[in-house]
Amino acid sequence: MTVEILLAIAFGGAFTTYFLSKLAKRAGEVFAVLISLALVAIVAYFYNSSLREIFYTGFMGFPLVLKMNTLSWFFAITITSVGALSVIFSLSYIRGRERTDFYYLMLLLINASMVGIVVSGDLVSFYIFWEIMSWSTFLLISYNRGPALNAGMKYIVMSIIGSVAMLAGMLLLYSSYGTLTIAELSGVMTNASPGYVLSIFILFFIAFGVKNAVWPFHSWLPPAHSEAPSPFSAILSGTIIKMGAYGFLLFFYVIIGLKKFLGFGPSVFSLHYFLCWLGAITVVIPTFIALLQNDAKRLLAWHSIGQVGYIMLGISFGTSLGVAGGIFHILNHATFKALLFLTVGAIEYRTGTRDLNSLGGFIKTMPITFIGALVGTLGIMGIPLTNGFVSKWLIYKTLILNGKPFLAFAALVGTWGTVLSLFKFVHNIFLGQLPEKYKDVKKAPFSMQLPMMVFSFIIILFGVLPGIPLKVINKIIVSFGLDSLNINIWGIASETGTLNTINIFAVIVATCLVVWFVSKAARRSKIVKQEDNYAAGTFVPADKYQHTVDFYNPLYRMITPYLRDFIDNFYMSIARIMQNLFGVIRRIYTGEVGSYLMYIILFLAALIFAQIKWSIW
Amino acid sequence: MIVLEMFMLVILAFIIGMFFLGLSRKIMARIQWRFGPPITQPVIDIIKLFNQDSISHGLLFNFGIILSLAGSIVMVFFLPMGGMCPMSSSGGMLVILYIMLLGPLGLALSGGEAANPNISIGISRKFILALGYEVPLLLIFLAVMTHYGTISIVEIVKMQSANLWSFASLPLLLSGIAYLLILPALLGERPFELIKAPQEIASGPMTEYGGKFLALVTLQHAFHTFVGISLFVNLFLGGASNPGYFFLKMLVVFILLIFVNAVFPRFRIDQAIKYLWKWPTLLAFIGLIIVVIVD
Repeated sequence: MTVEILLAIAFGGAFTTYFLSKLAKRAGEVFAVLISLALVAIVAYFYNSSLREIFYTGFMGFPLVLKMNTLSWFFAITITSVGALSVIFSLSYIRGRERTDFYYLMLLLINASMVGIVVSGDLVSFYIFWEIMSWSTFLLISYNRGPALNAGMKYIVMSIIGSVAMLAGMLLLYSSYGTLTIAELSGVMTNASPGYVLSIFILFFIAFGVKNAVWPFHSWLPPAHSEAPSPFSAILSGTIIKMGAYGFLLFFYVIIGLKKFLGFGPSVFSLHYFLCWLGAITVVIPTFIALLQNDAKRLLAWHSIGQVGYIMLGISFGTSLGVAGGIFHILNHATFKALLFLTVGAIEYRTGTRDLNSLGGFIKTMPITFIGALVGTLGIMGIPLTNGFVSKWLIYKTLILNGKPFLAFAALVGTWGTVLSLFKFVHNIFLGQLPEKYKDVKKAPFSMQLPMMVFSFIIILFGVLPGIPLKVINKIIVSFGLDSLNINIWGIASETGTLNTINIFAVIVATCLVVWFVSKAARRSKIVKQEDNYAAGTFVPADKYQHTVDFYNPLYRMITPYLRDFIDNFYMSIARIMQNLFGVIRRIYTGEVGSYLMYIILFLAALIFAQIKWSIW
Repeated sequence: MIVLEMFMLVILAFIIGMFFLGLSRKIMARIQWRFGPPITQPVIDIIKLFNQDSISHGLLFNFGIILSLAGSIVMVFFLPMGGMCPMSSSGGMLVILYIMLLGPLGLALSGGEAANPNISIGISRKFILALGYEVPLLLIFLAVMTHYGTISIVEIVKMQSANLWSFASLPLLLSGIAYLLILPALLGERPFELIKAPQEIASGPMTEYGGKFLALVTLQHAFHTFVGISLFVNLFLGGASNPGYFFLKMLVVFILLIFVNAVFPRFRIDQAIKYLWKWPTLLAFIGLIIVVIVD
């Protein structure tokens, strides 16, 4: 089987779903699920294969190349799995809304184009798939209308700036090396002048940084993630922003090359060190802004930026452990953040709100959703036994042992911000008082529970047996020219500190069991209702007040003045200035023929004057 | 062999932790011109509590407290004590940092299900305070790990026994002082007793606990006290090759802690954060800079 067939099925399936939904809605839904599951199976079939084929030669003189290697496979399997699970989740989420055929078309089209991005072997097809992804993402972000239109607009404007930068970078590369296939480009820049490399770097950094939502380019992400339909938010946060990370990996380690990338610039101010600090800023500031949010999805959206910071920190640090940790975190973030967005989706589906201040107590009515949210929360915090722990451990370890404790400090403080805000997330939705009006809320439907359970399982599986994905990741980093890691199924062995997750798992589970037996031996406790509470002789009235509102109020008062998103304010002020400027320019279109005639005559007069004065022609 | 070592460590930690709880009540009483309860009182209390009735608010209410206690016990296996450290090769100090989180997290999850406003306030304070002391604590940990160039706590203890105690060696002196300054916050003792604050919020996260739950949470406190002090002894006072000597070192630190506990009134949460982010953080930060420069 060749890679073309994979792409043909992906794109063909998307359009077939659309036409089937036009005929019968149910048929379209079933076909969407089938095609997305089939894609997972087909991608899995390519495991361990290394292919490269030219599938079209005459595209404006460029050969279009497809490839499949471990890096592509790793991303492709993540994309298709997250895609399939969120399509399953969409079944009941989107049913009953209008334009579902359009929704499924866009969802599958985005998945297909992302697969296209990771399997494309030259920058032209990369760019084509990239644009398909950007535009269909824009259409889906605005699916809900209302504030979603603004969010989508913000996204597409920044995205276009990124695309233009990428196009300029490609032109620059083509004009000096005459080729755009990645295999031929890799390593050509070893002897290029620093100024040239820097300009190429800046252009591609804008392109991938916007998509990856790295700190100065992050401002499109919070509104886009929170306004999009929840299953799509899962894809948006899980895989679409990872395309930026894929671009970075491709650019740093394949096109520029490891040696050139790490050795670029004077030691302390070198390029990769600068990127690490950008990653550290991306971890800290957005994580603490997330702490202030009261909208569940907006909170998660800000955390997406924060977690991207870890990925940036890992992949741009350029050591085996760091790059492996960064790549592993790409997968991990895709799983736990998608899971968290799906749980919010389930809550929103049942209650119609995602306001953290008005929810509470859903552990009683939606237990499976709670377990999903808890596992996702533990994953993003990086508690041992979840996959998030392993990837963060790898990143911290390399930062500390390579003598960069301040970077490690930024990353660790970010973790504590995550702990605080994600606990608030779980507490305000699932713990505390269940409001009267939500007493009769039903469980999430099975088609929502299934993806959540699968994601929870993956998070714990990769947390206890991190060797499974790390073996694949090890192959990727070796292909980048980094040293191979000593991977075992239970973690990583090394002289400077071994990680053994099975030991940790065994000891935690055993201790929990022992404590459980001890508490079993004591007298049985009586289960009481939530109203049956100690309140110093009175009772806690139901629904009189919400004690989840302003959960960290004393802290908010201290940190809020320092946490303004001034980058966003800056962009918005530029946008306003441009709007005013174009408003002025627009006035020349007066709508009167006389004035247009005057412009023409004035222009001709200017031409004649120029000719007489300087005799140009 | 390893299981036996673990068993011994848990027993030792239990005895030391409970002894500390009893001792603190005794010394506090003497400072306040009282006689105080016998030193075995906490153990008697726990046995009594296990036989009393209790109420529960649901599965997570039961499970959270188990997780919390288990998390604190697991910590004991990661810290070397008198030459024993069964989990020495399972991730080192980075795992310790995260496993320390299981205790408060379990307690918070358990209390969260009870839907009591006092508990919510208590949990919120607990996490804010945790953020407060984690900032200097992380800087301290990073200084130690950077200075010794390893993430394994066993290695750190070994290198201290070969050279000087970290507390006595100049690059880490400031970090050591910073650790002492945040130790009361780490253990929830006065002046950072605001999580429980029985007079304001009816002992916060523990409001709904009775009977066996109260027993488990007391045990958790005992183990947590052990862990907090043991970490200091291992990182800064050079650990020890036998448990008796280790215990002596812990005792000195603990008595210091009780004196602070006896003298100071309670901080408000914002005062606590301001304190924690000022002096201890400043010292720890300068300490880390010194370490980076020296090495």
